[in-house]
Amino acid sequence: MSDRTTIILLLLPALLVIGVLFFGGLLIGVMRSFNYMPVIGLTTPNLDAYAAVFADPEFYWSFLLTFHIAFTSTVISAVIAIAAALLLRRSFVGRGLISFLFQLNLTVPHLVGAIGILYLFSQSGSFARLAAEMGLITRPGDFPAMVFDPYAIGIILQYIWKEVPFIGVIVLANMQSIGHDYEAVARSLGASRWQAFRHVLLPLIFPGVLSASVMVFAFTFGAYEIPAVLGANYPATLPVLAYRSYTDVDLAARPEAMAMAVVIAVLSAIMIAIYIRATRRGIRS
Amino acid sequence: MTRILKITLLATTVLTAPMAWADTADGSMLIGKDWDAVREMAKGGTVNWFMWGGADNINQYVSDYVGGILKDQYGITLNRVGITDTVEAVNIVLGEKESGVMDKGSVDMIWINGENFRTMRQGGLVWCGYTDSLPNNALVNWDNPAIANDFGVPVEGCEVPWSRAQFAFAHDSAVTPNPPRSIPELLDWIKANPGQFTYPAPPDFTGAVFVRHVFYHAAGGSQNLMGPFDQAKFDDAAAKTWVILNEIEPMLWREGKTYPNAINQLNELFANKEVALTFNYEPAQFGLAVQAGTYPDTVMSYGLTDGTIGNTNYTIIPFNSPNKAAAMVLQNVLLSGEAQLQKALPDVWGANSGIEMDRTSAEVQAAFNAIERHPSVVAAEDLAENSLPELQADWISAIEQGWITNVAEN
Amino acid sequence: MQREPLAIRSIQVISGLVLIVWLVLPLIPLAIWSFARGWRFPSLLPQAWSLKAWEYTLSDTAGVLDSLWLTIWIAVCATLLSILIGVPAGRALGMHKFRGKALVEMIILAPVIVPGIAVALGIHSVFIGLGLTNTVIGVVLVHLIPTLPYMTLVMAGIFANYDPAFEQQARSLGASPLRTFWHVTLPAIMPGIIVGGLFAFLVSWSQYVLTLLIGGGRVVTLPLLLFNFVSSGRNDITGAIAMIYILPGVLILILTARQLSGRSGAVGGFGRL
Repeated sequence: MSDRTTIILLLLPALLVIGVLFFGGLLIGVMRSFNYMPVIGLTTPNLDAYAAVFADPEFYWSFLLTFHIAFTSTVISAVIAIAAALLLRRSFVGRGLISFLFQLNLTVPHLVGAIGILYLFSQSGSFARLAAEMGLITRPGDFPAMVFDPYAIGIILQYIWKEVPFIGVIVLANMQSIGHDYEAVARSLGASRWQAFRHVLLPLIFPGVLSASVMVFAFTFGAYEIPAVLGANYPATLPVLAYRSYTDVDLAARPEAMAMAVVIAVLSAIMIAIYIRATRRGIRS
Repeated sequence: MTRILKITLLATTVLTAPMAWADTADGSMLIGKDWDAVREMAKGGTVNWFMWGGADNINQYVSDYVGGILKDQYGITLNRVGITDTVEAVNIVLGEKESGVMDKGSVDMIWINGENFRTMRQGGLVWCGYTDSLPNNALVNWDNPAIANDFGVPVEGCEVPWSRAQFAFAHDSAVTPNPPRSIPELLDWIKANPGQFTYPAPPDFTGAVFVRHVFYHAAGGSQNLMGPFDQAKFDDAAAKTWVILNEIEPMLWREGKTYPNAINQLNELFANKEVALTFNYEPAQFGLAVQAGTYPDTVMSYGLTDGTIGNTNYTIIPFNSPNKAAAMVLQNVLLSGEAQLQKALPDVWGANSGIEMDRTSAEVQAAFNAIERHPSVVAAEDLAENSLPELQADWISAIEQGWITNVAEN
Repeated sequence: MQREPLAIRSIQVISGLVLIVWLVLPLIPLAIWSFARGWRFPSLLPQAWSLKAWEYTLSDTAGVLDSLWLTIWIAVCATLLSILIGVPAGRALGMHKFRGKALVEMIILAPVIVPGIAVALGIHSVFIGLGLTNTVIGVVLVHLIPTLPYMTLVMAGIFANYDPAFEQQARSLGASPLRTFWHVTLPAIMPGIIVGGLFAFLVSWSQYVLTLLIGGGRVVTLPLLLFNFVSSGRNDITGAIAMIYILPGVLILILTARQLSGRSGAVGGFGRL
């Protein structure tokens, strides 16, 4: 069997599944967003749905909010994850426990974490009650609003809670396969701890950090259930908006939901392409 | 282990086209048939009943009590499917119709009313015309316009009532001994007590009906608003409504910068004393919440002097259900005096009957009259004295959309 | 190895403590709620305790246990399918160079970049036509969309470090392709299969929107039930279901923990997007 045939056979199932399910779904979504649904007799594509979406001020607020959530969560998680990996790669008391808890966290679904954060950080949640116990506040309204709030603090906290272990495990694996040698050499040549990290280790782990961050960004941008549990009502995040439109009893909202979905897909692809380009350039320089 | 096997078998049988033993997808054949024949055809069948699944007591009433009766007396299996929002079930039927699934639908029955009913009727998604065949249909008072019309849309034999409900407020008598008891009083109270009140954002079902109360107040009463949608009347009342709601916005919880997404969030706020008042379309919920420990037992519900809106909720059979006979039997059971009595018991549900209790048997009536409602639940008769009708669905959508545009986006 | 200075060691210990507490914290109120009968502000602990939430959750009516087995079954199916499809794809991407490789990589990894909901709305229509909505098989298929890329990524990473020389030796000694695979290839790539399988399982395990849209409420997995109850404000039942929901993941982790460290090289695959 020739090499080329082998390769094609190996890749065929995966390409088929993704091609049909993913790209097929995307294609149908695009078609319906243009109001093109032969099944129920709509055969003239038009841009009405897109016009409606782009004319709605909520769409822009929603995009800003979703971007803010994804960006802030990703950056903070990546920074903390690197710090945590640095901590965990050396032996110390409690290292085994923390490693185990990191991995444990990976198995806890986002929805559970979101509910937990809700119970902890709402104005009548555990932290608020602690504050009341300590006499810092008297009424729930006095406690700062961290869930259902315009800055999506609760949502970001939940993403940080889940993504720090995710990025951390990847970075840690990276660090362990890189080993200590490079830094040891740098230190022996007189570099300080920080310099060894910044100029030797960081560039080496950066591709892994980047890759993990891209996955985190894409996930946090497109997630539905976490903002549904912790998010403010207006503006809602883009996926929540799209889902609301799709399940609206008014059928005219369907193409709009599809249009939003297509916009989400395109925006994600663009943002991540920009992100990768910018940082790859950064690595090379 | 056997559970896994069971699920495996279930999964594989789902792959093959499901064949109900007594496939009764053809509705026209069932209409007019006598009841015993219907029961025979229904035997051995299954009913997939899609209903809101967020209440454990309702789930138990349906699955255990009603399901038990169906199994023991009729040989029918009841499959309760819990959903978060009724519109999910509507969307399933809609999607099936769009794809040409005409007689093997996955939904046999939906607990429904209002806008969802209108959507289904408009989309031709409902099976109609059979309700006279149900023996217990005689227990329903179809002369009552509030029952014969579902949010202003004539029922016309397309659905069967299950329970009645009427909007009521609740306060914690230990914290707020003198709550406002009418809409004007409420508006003044909000201004005098900033941060103590809010309402769920439409299109949440309960938030939307609260806004409708303000709408009625702005329009000077509900009389002018009855009947089909009138743009002029709507604009007039809506303009005043948005002014009122925007005026009180800064004095709401979180200064009105955000509203609770759904009624359960409002209930949380109320339980934790973040706000002083809550409300619900079904006052029985207050009793259940006190029993579950969610609210303290000083919580009391009450109606408004200027009236609160009432409605009926129904069950409906989609056009493409393959188990229509079994679904008919289920509806008949739900309408029976015994089932309505059981449902009215405070520690089961406390729901108001959808039938006329004085048309049932003497024992059922006696038991019904002997029910002591939960102290936190306002008496249905008291509420009924000031019952306001619901608007037709077009008004409702317009109000919801108007709220989003004029209040939320401000 | 030098002893770390005291300042650094203190930072390590303190950060370690903070991390431990932070990681466990959100799960605590859930556990407490499952035993609570009423827990209102400002009480630090529930006003009353009760087992009613657990009684309901474990009862037949609630369908929680049925849902548990169903969710496990779906996740196992999705994982197995991902392994069957992802291992060959990973081999092709990890071991071979060919024209169009970058394009193929982009195609297979596209679901990681584009959020599932964007595609699910469109897929819903396709599936209705195919009669796959409201079926378990439909849900398994749609779960493949997010799980397959992760599996492929991990396997590509493993295969990139894989030396085909051993296979060639075995073949030249007369072993059939099947025996070669079973005795030579499989043991070498097993760490990747385990890590990839774990991630695939977890991704399917936590799916909500895809299951809701395609399963149409007929396929009731645990996250759907959980969402039902959190939306209706029954925090006690929510807590109980949440406890049940995290259990299988924990169990599987305990069985596969060793593979998640860096020494197996499997996790490194994630650094190769």
